[in-house]
This record gives sequence, structure tokens and C-alpha cells, in this order.
Amino acid sequence: MKTFIRVIEFWVPSDDRSLLEFGGGLFGPATRFAAATRDLCFGRGEGLPGQAWDAGRPIVLKDLEGSYFRRAAAARAEGLTCGIAVPIYKGKDLSSVVVIFCGDDAEHAGAIELWGNDPAESKDMNLVDGYYGSTGDTFEFISRSISFRRGNGLPGMAWERQTPVFLPDLGKGSGFLRADGAVKVGINRGFAIPCSTLDGSNFVMAFLSALATPLARRIEVWEPDAGGTQLHRSFGFSEVEGELTAADTTAIYGTAAGALGQAFASGRPFVVEPMIAIPMAPQGHVTAVMALHF
Amino acid sequence: MSDSLTTKYIEIQNVEQTFKTKKGLFPALRDINLTVAKGEFVALIGHSGCGKSTLLNLIAGLTMPTQGSLICANREIAGPGPERAVVFQNHSLLPWLTCYENVYLGVERVFGEPRGPGARAESRAQLKQRTDAALALVGLTPAAQKRPGEISGGMKQRVGIARALAMEPKVLLMDEPFGALDALTRARLQDELLAIVQKTQSTVVMVTHDVDEAVLLSDRIVMMTNGPSATIGEILRINLERPRKRVELAEDRHYVQYRKAVIDFLYTRQSHVEKAA
Repeated sequence: MKTFIRVIEFWVPSDDRSLLEFGGGLFGPATRFAAATRDLCFGRGEGLPGQAWDAGRPIVLKDLEGSYFRRAAAARAEGLTCGIAVPIYKGKDLSSVVVIFCGDDAEHAGAIELWGNDPAESKDMNLVDGYYGSTGDTFEFISRSISFRRGNGLPGMAWERQTPVFLPDLGKGSGFLRADGAVKVGINRGFAIPCSTLDGSNFVMAFLSALATPLARRIEVWEPDAGGTQLHRSFGFSEVEGELTAADTTAIYGTAAGALGQAFASGRPFVVEPMIAIPMAPQGHVTAVMALHF
Repeated sequence: MSDSLTTKYIEIQNVEQTFKTKKGLFPALRDINLTVAKGEFVALIGHSGCGKSTLLNLIAGLTMPTQGSLICANREIAGPGPERAVVFQNHSLLPWLTCYENVYLGVERVFGEPRGPGARAESRAQLKQRTDAALALVGLTPAAQKRPGEISGGMKQRVGIARALAMEPKVLLMDEPFGALDALTRARLQDELLAIVQKTQSTVVMVTHDVDEAVLLSDRIVMMTNGPSATIGEILRINLERPRKRVELAEDRHYVQYRKAVIDFLYTRQSHVEKAA
């Protein structure tokens, strides 16, 4: 099964916090890109991870060619054309920068949107940037014209809930406000995550994928119980099995209790192939862990 | 929108509106925050009972909010005023007066008295000139001496618009002004309103149920969630060049997309009113 996300990697601050070093990733068949990645490091403002670190917010780099992106040749060789870098903060410190790569060939249809709100400026959440690949401008046009209020639409729901929101069918009745345009260009699933920031602004990354190229093979969201002693799967969806049942959904977290627990405790992503656990820390406080299986 | 549409002209801040009813308190609006720029045309759209007219009445100063504040041109809205003229669905004309006299009445009230310390009231000739100009603007000069009972619904509504515009309001507030008219008359008046607003550069807030009307006329469409406790759900920016031509827009790709976005909001996301009916 081909997935819309082709490569996902993360970068962590060095011990003296002067650089970002490679922390891990899932590269699938993109071995050349993986080889070009492992020994790199980035200063603040350098390359895509360093830019996100410097900006303190997510960055969408729609075209890796001719930009500050440092691995353009390797990316081109693997058909990767777009990168999205998302910083994660634990408290006031950067814990990591997650970078997601996609390609815009006809076999990988989907879109990624970055929505933002500056509460000092307005109550609206507007499109900051978007990557629409081969979906054409039908869907993009309305996205660029619309503003969401907190609690409305996919971005507004993730903004209000401060946890990931998954809509498995964007067709009629899903609550997805741009359903008509999405279905027309083949997009059928929506997934939105609230992003970390330090300045009080609100950002939501929305992933919109098509049936043939889902975002990932399996998506899970794990949240702590009231006592904070266990993580429970609050949501799960598999492209093969559909919505996942509540059975076998408990994982005890701790330093050695698996990727989910480590991600929750450390505030850093953790990779156990073919899965990556990514902590969600919208206000600098880890509220959930998202698990993507490829 | 023109470049001038960058300043906040109407500011609605954290407004809530609750009504006392026989069954207790009814929360009509919550968390309403909206700014309207000078010269902007904003449409409020949503299902019946979503508080569109309540919000318009708050801007008009006809009712006061339970919480929050409303500001127009840097002054808090504390009541009705001639700088904010209202056109209702019901034309509200005085049936014993002619079209001319209905408009003149409003003109006289605003300009027939001194408008500030040291200012002088306008002469009768000036008031007449204003009234004639307003009637001409809406194409009603030939019917000026007719009474409301002698003219069609569309013409009555034009008198209402002329009366509002003659007062040179800073803001024109319209509550489903064409809702009671037949489709052809409505279309003609929409076209006339487009031309008038283009000419006067008025700031307009309009309540409507009509998706096409909203897309055709507006710079922004404010889509409201269902009540009770209705609020603003989405705002759609309409970037269609002006002047807008109805016939050309009917096949415009972006016009169709805007229209679908509003319909999607009303009939997919906010559809429970219809389902319950």
C-alpha cells in the first residue's frame, strides 16, 4: 500500500542545544534519501528543520528544489517534492522537529494544509500555507478563501479540542466543510493535529488523503487517563481493518515501556519500525501521542 | 475588496445576547467577534433562528447586548443613530405619505436640524435636493408622488432603500431587504444595490437567506451556526472583481465554488434545522 506520507524523520537538539541532530525516521524505500540524512545536523535557521526551529512554528516548503533545503538532489531521486517541518516544544524548550515528506506524482494524491490563528489579531483561523500536490486548484481555492472559528471545520475542531481529529469519510455528513471540493479531487480522509508554539498563537496541520494513498496504513491517538498513569487509545483507524476496537488498547508508559510511553514521557518522537510515535504538545504540555504505522 | 478595506470600522467584541422568555433565559448569541472594514459589504447567512437579525439589531442599536460591546467609527453603539440606517424586509413606509414624503421625512430628521454646535440646519431647498437625488438613485423619480398602496412591492423596497441612503449613513444595515419579493424583482434590485453601493462606497451589513444573493453582493459572507447560542462558524472571502455582472458570474468557476461552499456549510454541517422540520 502506498501512503501519502513517503518519509518521516525527526531532529533533536544536541546536548548543548546549539544544533539539531538526526533523531530517527521512517524512510521506506527512500534509501538514498536516508543515507543523505543520517549524518547531517542543522543550526538554527539552517535547512528545513532549522527554519522551523528558528520560526517557532510549522513550515510548509512546497518545492524542495531551489530552496534552502539541503538534500534536494537526494529528494529528487526519490520523488520527494514537498517537506513540512513541525517543531515540538516541551515546556519552553524545543524537544524535536518532525519533518514529513510527500511527492506530487499522480499516484500520491493528497494535500497538507497549515492553518493559523493569532489571538491578538483575530478570532479566525486562516490558511497559512498549503501543499496540494496533484489535486488541482478546485480544493485549494476554497481553502484559501475560508476562515474557521474555533470548533468549526476540521482545523477548528483540532484547535478547540487540542487533540488530533480524524474524519474517515469526508463525504456528506462528515462535518468537513469543504467536502464537495475534496470528494471531487479524490480526497476522502482528513486528519488534523494541533501544533506546538511558544508565543500563544495557534496552528493546526491538516492532512487530507485519497483512498488509494492514505496518510498512513494505521493511525492511532493515545491519551493519558485521569491519573496520568496509563495511556489509552482514544482513537484508532486502520486502512485494512477500519476503525479499531477498544480491545488491547492499554499501554503503560515509562522510560522503557515502549515507543508510546517513551514519546509521552520525553516529549520526543520514538521510532519502532514500521511505526513512529509522535507526542502532541500544543501548548508545550504533552497531551497525547500520535502513532503512525507505515 | 478595495485597498481601503483595511481599517476596522464596525467592531463587535465578545458579544452575547440572552433574552428573557416565559420559559426562562434564551441564549440567542454567544462569542460574537467580528470586524467590518469601511466600504465593505458583509452578508450574514444562516438558518432561521440563528440570530442573524438579532446581530443586525445590535449593530443598529435597536437592542443592547447582554455582554460585550459594539463600536462604529470609534464610538460605542449606545442606541439607534442616523449614521446607521436600517432597511427591513417589511418596507415600513407610512401609507398616507407619498414616496417623496416618506423619504423627505427621514432627510428632514437628519439634515433639517443643526448637526452640531455652530452648525446650521439645511434649507428646504437643500432637503428637497437630497430627497430628489435619493429617489433618482433608485430610479423612482417618476413615482415620487405616488403613495405606497399605488406601487409594487419592489418599488416600495426601493423607497425604503432611498430613505436609508438619503440620510447618508455611514453604515447601511439590511435585514432580508428583498426576501418578500418575487425572483425577478429581487434580481433587479440586487443589481441596483450593487450599482448604488459601488457609487456610494457604503459600508453594508446584510442579513439574507439567499446564497446567490450573498455571493453576488458580498466581500465576505459570515456563516452562522444554528441557535440557540448561535455564533460565527465560518467566514468566506469573496474575491470576485467588481463591478459584478450577474449573467457573467453564473458561469464563473469561482462563483460556483463560493456558492457550493456556502451551501455545503448550510445544508451539510448546519442541517439539523431542516432534518427536524
